[in-house]
Amino acid sequence: MTDTRVPSAPGAAPPGGESLAQRVLRLALTERVVLLAVLLVVVVVWFRVLGDGGYLVAPYDVRYLGNALESMVPFALLAIAELFVIVSGRGGIDLSVGAIVSLAGMVFGLMVGEWGWPLLPSIVACVAVGGLLGAVNGALVAYLRFPALIATLATYYAYSSLALVSNANAPISTPPIVALHSLTRNVHLPLLPPVPLHVFTILVPCAVLAWVVLSRSTYGRSLYAVGTNDIAAGYATQPVTRTRFTAYVVSGLLSGVVALVTVAQFASARPDAGVVGNGMALPAITIAVLGGVAIQGGIGRVGGVVVAALLVTWLNAGMLLAFEGSEGSQYQLLALGLVLVLSALLNTLALRRYGRLA
Amino acid sequence: MTATTGQVDQAPPVTRRRPRVRAIEGQEVALIGVTGLLWLVLSLATDTFLTSGNLQNILFTVAPIALIGIGMTAVIVTAGIDVSVGSQAAVVMVVIALLVRDAGFAFLPALAVAVVSGLVLGALNGLLVAYGGIHPIIVTFGTLNIYRFVALQIFGSEQVAGVPGAFAPIGGGAEGRVFGVPVAWWLTLVLAAGMWCYMRFWATGRHLYAVGGDAFAARLAGVRVRRRQISAYVLTGACVGLAACVLIGSGGLVQQNVGAGLELRVIAAVVIGGTSIIGGRGTVLGTLLGALLVGTVTSAVTLLSWPTELTQLFIGGFILVAVGVDLLRERRRSAR
Repeated sequence: MTDTRVPSAPGAAPPGGESLAQRVLRLALTERVVLLAVLLVVVVVWFRVLGDGGYLVAPYDVRYLGNALESMVPFALLAIAELFVIVSGRGGIDLSVGAIVSLAGMVFGLMVGEWGWPLLPSIVACVAVGGLLGAVNGALVAYLRFPALIATLATYYAYSSLALVSNANAPISTPPIVALHSLTRNVHLPLLPPVPLHVFTILVPCAVLAWVVLSRSTYGRSLYAVGTNDIAAGYATQPVTRTRFTAYVVSGLLSGVVALVTVAQFASARPDAGVVGNGMALPAITIAVLGGVAIQGGIGRVGGVVVAALLVTWLNAGMLLAFEGSEGSQYQLLALGLVLVLSALLNTLALRRYGRLA
Repeated sequence: MTATTGQVDQAPPVTRRRPRVRAIEGQEVALIGVTGLLWLVLSLATDTFLTSGNLQNILFTVAPIALIGIGMTAVIVTAGIDVSVGSQAAVVMVVIALLVRDAGFAFLPALAVAVVSGLVLGALNGLLVAYGGIHPIIVTFGTLNIYRFVALQIFGSEQVAGVPGAFAPIGGGAEGRVFGVPVAWWLTLVLAAGMWCYMRFWATGRHLYAVGGDAFAARLAGVRVRRRQISAYVLTGACVGLAACVLIGSGGLVQQNVGAGLELRVIAAVVIGGTSIIGGRGTVLGTLLGALLVGTVTSAVTLLSWPTELTQLFIGGFILVAVGVDLLRERRRSAR
């Protein structure tokens, strides 16, 4: 029933005598981080040039780029969440991350803002709620074998509905919640522009942890094996079901962390935080695919995803300056869509040509 | 799946087996039962449910979802998905709203423009899926954004107000009804019946199932896989064009966020109707019933004066139950 064909055979060893141009092309197509780094430089230089030419409404300087990192944190974390889920294979995808952000954020808001719980237990509970909601997804997909797209679509509906009902569709912004805003203040470090505090306290630790888990732990190797070919992984005595289940739990935990971040950022627990507009799931999936995660599963790295998140953040920040009024946010939609389709085309091309992808 | 690939039985069966293609599937019977039960309970619990006004309202609000669902069924049967229909609808609606208001287009020309622009948007999706080698969900997530951008550009950062009632013949008002049933619903029924016959009796219609069952095997069997994929997305685009006319209905205001979230409601209706998301199985009849169930639930939550946000919780629950039942049947089928 499911398509168990592996996307490609192991890559034919590149012939020794390839020209420089071929080598550059191969590097750009197979080493996604290299390509993204080049694009990142291009974007930054391009907007600097536009700024010097007076085409931007405000300077696109280091201080602005540092501030823009604030909006990178949730999307980078959710893209890492999608990385885990998509790598787990069998059509893995998590449409419900935005709804989990809403619901866990509302639970956190109720705990801190209404019931007066101390901060630390509430933080732990909020992340745990995220993990629990992720576990529901994981149980549906891994144990009951629901198609991931449909299972997480259904839970997206359910969670976002519960988030709206939880406080009768009203945000919670009592004083204890507003006080949390200081957690996302800018910090001044030597040699660096002011950077939001939670880049260091949340994003960097989570990304490093994710990298360790995926690249340096037994679980990570098992996850890649399961995502590449779950039948083969089963014969190789990997715990297929449990590994896949855990990927969804991780996605839920990270969504719980993002819930904390958004509550602190907006100084308010909003019932539609993760689903308003296009929601958070779509940009997260876009960033993951741009970062070199193959939708078939088994392929993708944390480094690529983080650099992709940085690229999208600074591109969006630049476009806000390049247009007056709401035009900038409209062009962000165009850029997001084009980037998603083009990066997927690039993934296909790289797989066809070299049989592998980084 | 089994019904579509035309397998040859190895040994001659001892007893004559029932014909593989049934007029109505088990899931559809169950859906009729659930919807009927809901209607019964609701008409007993409230005195407003079983009124012609409310039923007309349900049918009219369900019509656009069911219309798009006709195309979406074909797409999902080919193992694809189209999440860009909401943005497609936004593009078509703003185009025809402006044409009707500023260029004075009449009903039929505007309808034609709507269908053609829907076709074009769908064709782009189809081409990218068939020739780009990209997973359909990625393609249509991308075009969801791109089409929304196009729509917003045409809007020019203001909503379109004062659209005249050129589409009143298929709108929700009194002139949009024949025999007391909304014309939009008649339109849906006719199209659905045509599509049902096509997917059941025409060779190319059966090929849709073959593509969804196993595209590689279908290609070896001589099915033009890419052409079938493109045709499914193009059909969806055309359906979106029609649905956009219904949504504009008797005119008024077209807002910039129009059509947002429509794709999820359509996919929910298709999946509740028993179409398998991994492709190869499903019928248009099921989709109609699924849409009707979604419409009934939405209406019920309003009439029972529960918080409207609960509607989504019920839809999510119905999706899980429908897919769960389908998985159970599938498991039993493959165990046999």
